[in-house]
Amino acid sequence: MPKTITDQNLRLLIDALVAEGKRVVGPRAAGTMTLYAPLAKGEELNLGELPRRSAKETFFPLCETILTYERDKEGVRVTDVDPGTIPGTVLVAARPCDVAAAPVLDSVFSWDFKDEFFLERRRKTTIIGLACTRADDACFCTAVGLSPNDTKGSDLFLTPLTDGGYRCDAITEKGEALLATHASLFAEGDGTPAPLAEPSLGKLDLDRIKAWLDTHFEDPLWGEIAERCAGCGACAFLCPACHCFDIVDEGGETKGTRRKSWDACGFGKFTNHASGHNPRDVQPQRYRNRIMHKFKYYVDKFDQRLCTGCGRCIRACPVGIDIAEILSAIGTRDQEPGTGKD
Amino acid sequence: MTNTAQTIDPALYAAVTDAIRAEAKKVLEAGAAAAVVGWQAGRRQGTAMPAIITDPAKVAELIFSPACVNNLALYLSKAKKEIRARGRIAIVVKGCDLKALVGLMGENQLKREDLHVIGVVCAGVQRAGAAKDIPLSEETIAGKCRECTVHTPEGADVTVGTLPDLPHFTPVESEELSRLEAMTPAQRWSFWKEHFARCIRCYACRQVCPFCYCEQCLCDRNRPQAVETTPRPAGNMAWHIVRAMHLAGRCAGCAECERVCPMDIPLNLLNRKMAKELKELYGHEAGFEVKEKGPLAQYREDDDQSFIK
Amino acid sequence: MHAHKENHAFEPKIVAFVCTWCTYAGADLAGTARLQYPANTRVVKFPCTGRIDPVFILRAFQKGADGVLVSGCHPGDCHYMAGNFHARRRFAAFRALLDFIGVDLNRLQFSWVSAAEGGKWVEVATELTERVRAMGPMREFRELETEEQWSGAIDTPELQAAYEAIP
Repeated sequence: MPKTITDQNLRLLIDALVAEGKRVVGPRAAGTMTLYAPLAKGEELNLGELPRRSAKETFFPLCETILTYERDKEGVRVTDVDPGTIPGTVLVAARPCDVAAAPVLDSVFSWDFKDEFFLERRRKTTIIGLACTRADDACFCTAVGLSPNDTKGSDLFLTPLTDGGYRCDAITEKGEALLATHASLFAEGDGTPAPLAEPSLGKLDLDRIKAWLDTHFEDPLWGEIAERCAGCGACAFLCPACHCFDIVDEGGETKGTRRKSWDACGFGKFTNHASGHNPRDVQPQRYRNRIMHKFKYYVDKFDQRLCTGCGRCIRACPVGIDIAEILSAIGTRDQEPGTGKD
Repeated sequence: MTNTAQTIDPALYAAVTDAIRAEAKKVLEAGAAAAVVGWQAGRRQGTAMPAIITDPAKVAELIFSPACVNNLALYLSKAKKEIRARGRIAIVVKGCDLKALVGLMGENQLKREDLHVIGVVCAGVQRAGAAKDIPLSEETIAGKCRECTVHTPEGADVTVGTLPDLPHFTPVESEELSRLEAMTPAQRWSFWKEHFARCIRCYACRQVCPFCYCEQCLCDRNRPQAVETTPRPAGNMAWHIVRAMHLAGRCAGCAECERVCPMDIPLNLLNRKMAKELKELYGHEAGFEVKEKGPLAQYREDDDQSFIK
Repeated sequence: MHAHKENHAFEPKIVAFVCTWCTYAGADLAGTARLQYPANTRVVKFPCTGRIDPVFILRAFQKGADGVLVSGCHPGDCHYMAGNFHARRRFAAFRALLDFIGVDLNRLQFSWVSAAEGGKWVEVATELTERVRAMGPMREFRELETEEQWSGAIDTPELQAAYEAIP
């Protein structure tokens, strides 16, 4: 049976969750933009625009401590961070393009090595998704097989109604449980959904793109599209699905902290070896990895794609690189195998 | 159209586009340049991106519009070796971009004779994140363009376009600089602390800067580590201080760092402040003439030392 | 002279970056002449003030210095002819930058102290120490050091203890 919740009650729900001691993360105004951030109260929820950074940092923080160490005459003492101390979290009003990336990332973080920091955050987080009613010219979720009301990854899902409230569907048991504990804030019923966002880009033939990538590791296209790439990490850092990280020790000989923080394949030093050799020594090779990883390697390994069409990389690219345009171009390329030369 | 007195006549951009194409065709056909670095239209309406054109048949892809924000001097810096390896390069520059080229020549990064400089008269470009409306208005014009003093580049091989009458815009960048200067140190600290805390260390500011061409950035080193690489408030503060210091006296003011920042950190304020200080202290202004040494690479015996005991 | 026997509530950490030819020798002279000055100053010796990168000053503040002193040869006396002239410009610029970021410049002192000026060294070191003592600890950088992005913040007692142990 579907339920509805008014905008006011949604904010009261946030207040209630905060009162229970949960960390509630949702879109909040931050200076000139909106960012996913902890909400102290429901009023702070800001649904006006797509948050500038994706919601991935709820599970995969920008920077987190893994351990601290101390060394003295007695020896070295290492204190691991206990992932058990990660707070219970509710991610509220996350867009489908953000939420859909979470189950995709589960595959890699629970693959050969179980990343307990990521997985514990996933286990402890309940996600309330929110359907999108507005798209800009960079949005292309429909082109990569998602939709503005895709419930993939959500535990509860909100659909804006024409009268200003939301229809609320429980997608998982976690969602059911949250609904049940706060039943008084919801009403029985349905409602008229507001018109969904309509991204303008047509559906991409992802299988065809994959087939081309399978045989075109070397191709002049990479130089054509990526010679302009400046080599920053803006695309990867705003992306809901990019998940590369670096581990560094910060501190000194006697004490310090080991930290894990975001990294990006666009950086020149990303693949730099200790010897000084760099297997991806020019920018087009780095950009190729970005496309290959998202639309080939991850598909080969997990049968999933690392792109949800949120368009953040397109909006943020300093030099105007447009992944949707590149995918469209690849989709129409000749499928003959490449020449074997860059 | 809205009040014409408050907007910029778009005719300039169309005329410049035609002239760029003609010049690019000429130099490519004559073999005077191996490639033309200019701008081309992006997929989305009202966007543009850098273009590297080598085929005279493709010069029609080149454009000039208020979306041509990129400072293309980046593509001639050491960070982009592959492009220069092609031979003599023709490059399209706005007045502000030319200042960066001049700076790079002063630092022995470029030789004037290796370049064919196509200067474009520019009335202004879009502010990051602004609506892509034509014509440009007070609402949509970039902060740096509101107080531009180099609409017409000087010293290019060919300069195209005629500057239209421009509306008067309020100089928001200077006003913001004055506002910060009037604050107490504690207020300024909290202003920057809040901005830098948002930094994600994507290094877009570094990567688009024509002057950040070091092969090994100090801030990527970890033995010894001068600046923490993790995007925590501590390392972010250090990174932005180091960045501003390393650009002091060199930055030509294109404001690309600020434009590209995905976290909207007003980075050009730092650059402007340093430029202002170095002008007051040593009479130096970057980007107007090729100088062998910047203000921090030379000295006078009678330099101010009132701050030294 | 400057006999400090009383107990202060706050002992500031002062890092002094000095050149080996003049100021270090000057400080040495202060020592051999048995001149007294506060023991708060940690001296780090460089070949020349021209070698003192502004990032060292930044690093000192980040790692817990409450005040920083940079000192070298008087203009014209540089062992390498012009190192201190270059340093003078660099520090003038860096000072302006730190001021614009919001660092109180009273915590940063530059001086010229020659090998013969043991007394001046004592004077400069004492004045900076006492000035910084009156200002209290440099909280700004130290607080930054403990701050995390919201997504990475977890408040475990062990972590807090570890942070507090960082000087």
